[in-house]
Amino acid sequence: MKSTDIAHERALQLIAQARVDGMSDTDRNWLRAHLEECDFCVEHARRTDRALRLLRTAPISLPAGLASRTQFRVRLRAQELREREPKRRALWLACGMSWIFGVASAPYVWSLFQWLGQRTGVPKLVWEVGFGLWWSIPALFAVAVLLMESSRKGEQADWINQGS
Amino acid sequence: MGDEAKTIARGLQRRDPDLLDRLIEQYQYRLFRYLVYISGNKERAEDFFQETWIRVLERGHQYNGKSKFEAWLFAIARNLVIDWQRSKKAQSLDTLTDPEQEHPLQLADENDPSPLRQVLSHETEENVQASLQKIPAIYREVLVLRFQEELQIDEMAGVLSIPLSTVKSRLYRGLEALRGALQGGAV
Repeated sequence: MKSTDIAHERALQLIAQARVDGMSDTDRNWLRAHLEECDFCVEHARRTDRALRLLRTAPISLPAGLASRTQFRVRLRAQELREREPKRRALWLACGMSWIFGVASAPYVWSLFQWLGQRTGVPKLVWEVGFGLWWSIPALFAVAVLLMESSRKGEQADWINQGS
Repeated sequence: MGDEAKTIARGLQRRDPDLLDRLIEQYQYRLFRYLVYISGNKERAEDFFQETWIRVLERGHQYNGKSKFEAWLFAIARNLVIDWQRSKKAQSLDTLTDPEQEHPLQLADENDPSPLRQVLSHETEENVQASLQKIPAIYREVLVLRFQEELQIDEMAGVLSIPLSTVKSRLYRGLEALRGALQGGAV
């Protein structure tokens, strides 16, 4: 490759780099010197600047009332979320309380199940499973509620997407 | 980041309706323009616009004010478009639009009269826009973010969830494509 070709290539690269990422003082000085004597690269730089100017000034018209329609929808959704907030808080509070109560009462309930098992003559495995269910059913119930909640959200999102 | 971003973050935590109204007004043009460019369809962009602000309301607590609000906003908008693309085509936006992929597709198909071409034909600088829509969507997107929205490279990397080096390479190629498209379009 000729040295002039290499110089052109470097200049074209620097012209792009200057606009994308900036360049060092050394490169800037070199490019300035090159542009003083190279019409081809000057034209390239001019076209690049023109293309960017056109991109920056390219207009797009806003649909009428877009902002106000959006503001209305956002306010409605905000109200909906505010109304749902106390219910959600109550649900989490109930979950938390039940968990604390479950942990605190576990040794007593274990003793109760053990005593009942001995009194009724039920095999050990059965009353242990009973204790396990007593422990896990509230958690499963909470999971079911949360799943129902998220599926309701999903349905709402689908409804929104259908509208779009 | 400035006090403005912190104020916005605090307002979004509270779901402050007045703040949201102000943000919608303030960013309406930039967000809509970005959505038109990446979705290639003005009607669709309108829907994405509304949906983006609903998500801003719902997920406002995730914005911490450490980055520019517009970068976070554009990331939300972009994710919405990608979700929609995935639901339509079961592929990601990048797969659909990256010309380096095996089967590159354009978000705005040049032969399709309905997308970006039709939208932009009504604009005053028709030729410029017609030229722009010839550029593959991933390059158009970085050009818009860098030269219209004036985001920094690292902010763009955050919005697009890609490495800095990829942002730069897309910008270089996009710039080349833009120059070529405008030259070809005899603008």
